[in-house]
Amino acid sequence: MLPPDPSGAAGDGPSRHLDLIAEMMAAFARSQDVEATLRLGLVRAVERLEAEAGSLFLLEPDGSLRCRASVGPVDVTGLRLAPGTGIVWRTVEANCPQRVGDTGRDPDFAPTIDDATGFITRSILCAPVAAGPERLGAIELFNKRGGHPFSDADLGLLQALTASAALAMINARLLASLAEQEMMQRDLELAAEIQRAMLPPLQGEDSPVHGVNLPARGVSGDFYEIVPLPDGRIAFAIGDVAGKGMKAALLMARTASLFRCLVKREDGPGRVLAAIESELHETRLAGTFVTMVAGLLDVDTGRVVLANAGHEPPVLYAKGRFVEIEGGMPPLGIDPRLFADGVPETVVDLDGGALYLFTDGLTEARGVVGGVMLGAAGVLGLLDAFTAMSAAERLQTVLHALGGAVTLRDDVTLMVVEDRTRPPSSAVQRLFPARPEVLAEIRATVAAALAGIGGGAEVVEACVLATDEACQNIIRHAYKGGEGDIVLHVSREDDSVVIRLMDFAPPVDPSKIVSRPLDDVRPGGLGTHLMRSVMDTVGFRPPPMGIGNLLEMVKRIESP
Amino acid sequence: MNITSTQRNGFAAIVLEGDVDLSCSSALRKELLERTFERCDIVVDLSRVGYIDSSGIAGLVEAYQGARANGTRFILAAPSVPVLRVLRLARLDRVFTIVESVEPVPAVAATPGESLL
Repeated sequence: MLPPDPSGAAGDGPSRHLDLIAEMMAAFARSQDVEATLRLGLVRAVERLEAEAGSLFLLEPDGSLRCRASVGPVDVTGLRLAPGTGIVWRTVEANCPQRVGDTGRDPDFAPTIDDATGFITRSILCAPVAAGPERLGAIELFNKRGGHPFSDADLGLLQALTASAALAMINARLLASLAEQEMMQRDLELAAEIQRAMLPPLQGEDSPVHGVNLPARGVSGDFYEIVPLPDGRIAFAIGDVAGKGMKAALLMARTASLFRCLVKREDGPGRVLAAIESELHETRLAGTFVTMVAGLLDVDTGRVVLANAGHEPPVLYAKGRFVEIEGGMPPLGIDPRLFADGVPETVVDLDGGALYLFTDGLTEARGVVGGVMLGAAGVLGLLDAFTAMSAAERLQTVLHALGGAVTLRDDVTLMVVEDRTRPPSSAVQRLFPARPEVLAEIRATVAAALAGIGGGAEVVEACVLATDEACQNIIRHAYKGGEGDIVLHVSREDDSVVIRLMDFAPPVDPSKIVSRPLDDVRPGGLGTHLMRSVMDTVGFRPPPMGIGNLLEMVKRIESP
Repeated sequence: MNITSTQRNGFAAIVLEGDVDLSCSSALRKELLERTFERCDIVVDLSRVGYIDSSGIAGLVEAYQGARANGTRFILAAPSVPVLRVLRLARLDRVFTIVESVEPVPAVAATPGESLL
């Protein structure tokens, strides 16, 4: 509580200081140097309120108050006040202005400064610099000239000044912390970029080993490696570092480079993993660990040697079945004694199929609709839908399919190791961007595929037209002119040509796709009629894993 | 697809070459609608079109309707086999005025809906 205003002056409200308040608010608003403006404010307040002296105190990180500016016969700038000393501390602690009419009668008044400087303090007006509950300091004025105590109006002016000062200071602090955050964000983005640059380059179409990585955001803990060895075999690895942020990123970089180096020296993936474990133990990255599969493909025999340290089991797809390759060790980086006897190896015969390796970011991806985890079964279901594609394109397609359909919480990394001794598929399956400019290429692809599959000119013409019309529908209606992909599948099944077109757009309601009545002559709506006229059957089928839309069109080759 | 626009016997002659699909059908539509807007009699030379899909056909239908509203003539000339096939599939061969030869355009063209083929 403030003592009653002893001057009792009528019409002496803060409004008569409006010019100064306006001047100082404007000064704070455009100030680049808040402290300099605070000092100016102090000088103005001392002048206007006819005080003999004034001081600006700000809270220091150590919890003391330090005098940052001082006006009057004695300069006390730099003076530190430990908590609890005098009227200024009472102001800050109470977060409430203080007016002392006679210092001799206030028990909290500390005469130490007067004693040291020879200044005689008679009256004090002190207001906190605070934004709500956040205390920043205080402005203290001493001895109103003419012997009067400070008035209510004086207090009003001082409070108006300290309020705008507090806002300016909070603003400046926010800006500074924002700039710091932005710098950290830029550092993180740079680190992520460097990390991505460390992943292997895209492999040529003829390579039997491919990998893709889709970073969720920021730096990643996932990695994969593809290292062709001088003897023609191909070494590969996939890994996931537990933990997030810089520490995980650094461990990932170290593990990946250890693999690249050790795989040329150690014989077999089991020894490579044991050697990495012993190197990681040297560096002691407490609190993180690495799950990893290392492998070696003999291209000529289609055989793979695998070693697994705590990673998701690789999956073999051969002869239409998926088989998990179980077995292995705990993750790397936990306890080197676990690896004293080396890491067991498993030999896998690819048997004309392909081996898939992935990180848990893929299996734990959740569907946008329903939020159900995709799971290993979901991933395999997607891969199964694209087996006629080239390996590199298949991985891209799975990522594109996931891109629109699931929420990624973690990085996704997916690898394929394919048996090049297998006979090539007679079916054609390719991924195209959903753009009008590629329609000509799509038509050419259908025509070329049918040349290999069989079918006369009439069949080719029909399939080309129907595919073009179906792709138009996907571009215009499924993706509504936006970005997207089209998967084209052409195969022969018994005496029919089967064309499947898949997109990853939100599901289309087939009941809304109607053939236009032909008597109704108008543009549009013709495409579906053309498709149905030239093909024997046209219909939507359940898409793989419920992602996107799958249109199937069949044309019999031998007319009954 | 290539579009060339010339004058021939008092007609605006639009010559199409190549494949007409979604990547170029809007350019065709624009050309046709501009000529229609100028109330030209239009002849579209389709002899060198290798492929046409529903988006290209849609442009022709729109121009045909515009011409009918204007009371001007809209003629398809010498459609190639692929074009004729799609026109027949859509049963539009009974709607358009179709002439066999690009040149000369008959001084008195057939009435709309009457095919000269």
